[in-house]
Amino acid sequence: MEIPIENRGNVTVAEIPVKELDAGNSGDLKAAMAKVLESSSRIVIDLHSMQFVDSSGLGAILSFLRQASAKGGDLKLCGMTKQVRTAFELVRMHRIFDIFETRDEAVAAFNCKVRESQ
Amino acid sequence: MNQHAVVTDAVSEMQSAICHHAVYSLGMPWRDLGLHERFTAVALAVRDRMIERLLETEEEYRRQDSKRLYYLSIEFLIGQSLGANLRNLRMYESCREALSNLGADLRELEEIEPDAALGNGGLGRLAACFIESLATLGMPGFGYGINYEFGLFKQEINNGYQRESPDNWLALGTPWQIARPQEACMIPIYGRIEHALDRHGVYNPMWLDWKVLIGLPCDMLIPGYGGQSVHFLRLYSARASREFDMRIFNDGDYFKAVEQKIQSEMLSKVLYPSDAVIAGQELRLAQEYFLVACSIRDIVRRFQQDHTDFQQFPSKVAIQLNDTHPALAITELMRLLVDERELSWDAAWEITQKTFGYTNHTLSSEALEKWPTSLMERVLPRHLQIIQEIDRQFLEQVTARFPGDSDRAARVSLFDGSDQQQVRMVNLSVVGSHSVNGVSPLHTRLLKTLLLADFDELQPEKFNNKTNGISPRRWLLHANPLLTDLICSCIGDDWITDLSELRKLEPYAADDGFRAAFQQVKKQNKETLSALVEHSLREKLDPDSLFDVQVKRIHAYKRQLLKILHIVYEYLELIEDGKRPIVPRTYILAGKAAPGYWLAKQIIKLVHDVGNAINNDPRTKDLMKVVFIPDYRVSLAEKIIPATDLSEQISTAGTEASGTGNMKMALNGAVMIGTYDGANLDISEEVGPENAFLFGLRSIDVQQIRQQRSYRPSEICDRDARLQRLVRSFSSGLFCPHQAEFCAWVSQTLLSEEDEQLHLADLPAYLSAQEEAAKAFGDHERWTRLAVLNVARIGKFSSDRAVREYADEVWGIKSH
Repeated sequence: MEIPIENRGNVTVAEIPVKELDAGNSGDLKAAMAKVLESSSRIVIDLHSMQFVDSSGLGAILSFLRQASAKGGDLKLCGMTKQVRTAFELVRMHRIFDIFETRDEAVAAFNCKVRESQ
Repeated sequence: MNQHAVVTDAVSEMQSAICHHAVYSLGMPWRDLGLHERFTAVALAVRDRMIERLLETEEEYRRQDSKRLYYLSIEFLIGQSLGANLRNLRMYESCREALSNLGADLRELEEIEPDAALGNGGLGRLAACFIESLATLGMPGFGYGINYEFGLFKQEINNGYQRESPDNWLALGTPWQIARPQEACMIPIYGRIEHALDRHGVYNPMWLDWKVLIGLPCDMLIPGYGGQSVHFLRLYSARASREFDMRIFNDGDYFKAVEQKIQSEMLSKVLYPSDAVIAGQELRLAQEYFLVACSIRDIVRRFQQDHTDFQQFPSKVAIQLNDTHPALAITELMRLLVDERELSWDAAWEITQKTFGYTNHTLSSEALEKWPTSLMERVLPRHLQIIQEIDRQFLEQVTARFPGDSDRAARVSLFDGSDQQQVRMVNLSVVGSHSVNGVSPLHTRLLKTLLLADFDELQPEKFNNKTNGISPRRWLLHANPLLTDLICSCIGDDWITDLSELRKLEPYAADDGFRAAFQQVKKQNKETLSALVEHSLREKLDPDSLFDVQVKRIHAYKRQLLKILHIVYEYLELIEDGKRPIVPRTYILAGKAAPGYWLAKQIIKLVHDVGNAINNDPRTKDLMKVVFIPDYRVSLAEKIIPATDLSEQISTAGTEASGTGNMKMALNGAVMIGTYDGANLDISEEVGPENAFLFGLRSIDVQQIRQQRSYRPSEICDRDARLQRLVRSFSSGLFCPHQAEFCAWVSQTLLSEEDEQLHLADLPAYLSAQEEAAKAFGDHERWTRLAVLNVARIGKFSSDRAVREYADEVWGIKSH
C-alpha cells in the first residue's frame, strides 16, 4: 500500500488511501505506516477517503497513536466521514484522539501546542 | 354518484390493478398465473393502496412531532394477511367481486398464503394484535422484530408422534414486505474491552476486536381498520458485513468467506421453537441483541431527524419490552447515550428509565431468562460492563434503604450467585424501566406479592396491570364473517372499533329469532370445520355434537392431560358402566410441542392413542369422537375458534399469566370451562359467573399445597373408585394395546406427589363442571343464551382497550 505523505514543517501528514479499511487490508496499512512512524512522531492522519472501517481498522489506527505516544509524540486525525466517525464513537475511540475537520486545523493544533510549550 | 357506482368503480379499479401487477410485476397475463402468483398479484394491488396511506400517516405524525411508541418483541405471530388487510381496508367485497370477474375465488387465494408464523404462541400473537390496534386507533406506535427466514416449525403427525419440518415461509417471497436497504445498520458483536484513559485522563473503556453484522430492515405494512392509518412493523434480517468478503475470497479462502457469511446470517435464520426458557444458547443471545441493537439505532435515528436534545428523548419516545427478550435494549440505549453521544451516566440513566416499560408474561421462576455472565462477556463485553455499573449503583440505593440486608440485595441484584454467574434479565428489565406490568389482575397481584415482591417494596409506583386483549378485526370480523353479519344486522358495526358496543346484543339473548340465527351461524362454522377435519384426517364429525375444544401450545401447566383424563373418564363410564354421555361430544385438540419437550410430545401421542381407542370403538358411535388437528397456527385457529362450543381454559391456577385464547373463544360465542387462573377470572366476572363454568383450586390453594408439600394424589384416588379406575386404565393396555407400559408414565405422573400441576386435586371439580356444561348444552335455549351473553359482554378484552390503557398510563402517546 502506498501512503501519500505531506510534510508540513515538523508535522507529517499521512493519508489513508483506501475507501474501506478492514481485516483484509489493515495489515498492509500497518506495514506501510511503519516507515512513517519511524521517521516522525508528530503525525496527522487524513481519513477523508475512508467510507468504512471495521474493528481491525480501528485497531490499526489505535496502534499508530500508541506508537507515536511511546516515542513522546502525538497523532491527530482529520477528514473523518460520518460513517467513520460513527465507528469511532461506537467504541469510544473518539475520546482518545484529537479529531479535526481539516488537515490545516490538525497541523495548526500541533503548532499551537509547540507555542504553548515554548 | 350513487353507492352502486362507487362500488362498481372500486371493483373495476381493483380488477385493473390486479391485472397490472400480473403483467408488470410477475410478467404474465392473469390467465396464465398459477395460484400463488395470483395471490401475489392481488396482494401487490392491495399493498399499493396501503403505501400511499403509510406515507401520509408518517407525514402526519412527523408534522405533529408526535411522541412514538416502539414495541420491541422477539416474536410477532401475524398469520395470513390478505383477508385481514382487505377487511381492514374495507376492500374485501370489491376485491372478491373483482376476482370473481377474473374467474378466481378470493377464499382460495387467501388459503394459499403461508402464515407468517414469526412467533410461538400468545406473546407473539399479542404483539400482532397490539400493532393492529395502534394502527386502528391512529396512535403512533410501531413494532420492531426479527424477520425469521424460518418461522415456527410445521407440525406433522406420524403414528401419533409429532414430526417437525421447517417452515420456509419466505421461499416464494412475500408481497407484504418492503425492503429498506438504505436504512440498514451496522451492528458490532463479540470482541473485548480495552481499559484505557481518554485525552483528559478519565477511564475510557474501548470495545475492540468486534465482528460486524448488518441489520437489513423490511417493513410489513399494518393497516388500521378503515384504512386511515397504515403503520409498519419493522423486521430485521441479518446480513454479513459484505455480501461476499472479496478479500478473503481473493486470498483463496473461499470456504472461510462463505462460512463467515453463513454464521452472520444465522442470526435471523430461525425462530427458537420454545415458548419457555431458552437457556445458554449463544445464538439466541446474539439474536436478542441483534434485534435491540438494530431497533435502538433506528429509533435514535428517527428521533434525531427532528430533534437534537436528548433530554427530550423520553417525551418523544416510549419503548415497550414485550417480556425480557429485548431487555438488552436498556443497556444498548445506555451505551449509545454514554459512549456515542457522550451524555453523563446519570443523565443517560434518567432518560433510559423514563423511556422503557416492561411487560412480564410469566410467573414461573424456571422460565425467567438468565444468561451466563461469561457468555455475555464474550458476546457483548461492553454491555456487560454497563450492566455491572447499573447493578452497582442500584445496590447502593438498596443498601442505603435497607442497611445490612444483604439477602435482599442478593435477591434484587442484576446478577445471580455470589460470583455473579448469571445475568437476570427480569431484574434488568425492572430496574431499567419506569413501568412494570402484568397482563391480568391475578398475574399482576402475584407478580407484586411473589416474583417481584422485593421490587414492589422498593418501587411500588412502577407496578401496574394491563389486562391483555385481542383484535376484534382479526378475531371476529375476519375470522367469523357469519357472526359478524348477524351482529351487524342487529346492532350495526360500531363494535368493530369499540368492542364495548357488543353490550347492545344482550337483549337479543332473550330473542328467539336471534338465538335461532346465532345457532345457525355456529352450526355453519362447525360444518366448515368438520369439512376441514374430514379432508385432512378422514374423520367425520357431527356438527350437532358439543364441540369441546382445547387448542394452544402443549405444556404441562396448560394441562392437556387433565382434558385427556376427562375424555377417558367419559369413555370408561360408557364402556364399563353403560352410562351414555349427557350429550354427544367431539373433543378437538390442537397445538405444537417444543421439539425438545418430551412430556409435551408424549401428551400428543397420548391424545392420538386415546383417540384411536375411542374412535374405533363401535360403542362410542354417535356419542364420542376425539380429533387432534395438526399444525395449529393462526389461520387454523381462525377456523377452529368460530366452531367452538366449549372453550377449555384449564391451566393450573396461578400459572397462566392471562391467556388470550379464552377471549377469542368467548368473542366467537363459546362458553368457557376454566380454572381460576389468568384472565379467566376477569372473563367470568365480565360475562357473569353463571355464564361460564369455573372450577377447582385457587392460586392461593395451589401455593399452599406446594409450600406445605401436602399434595397426596394417592389419597385422592383411594377415596374415589372412579378415579382409581381412570388412573389404572393408562397402565392397562387399553390405549396402548401392544405396549401397555408405554402409557404408564401417565399413572406415574398422576400419582406422584411431585406432580406440580396437581391434576388429581382438580379432577373431581373438573368432572362436575363438565357435567354441568353438558347439561347446559343439552338445553339449546339455555346454551345459546350463555353463548350470546359471552359475546355481548366480552368487549373489555379488546386489544384497543389494552392499547389505550398503555397509551394513557405508560407510553404517553395520543390518537390522531
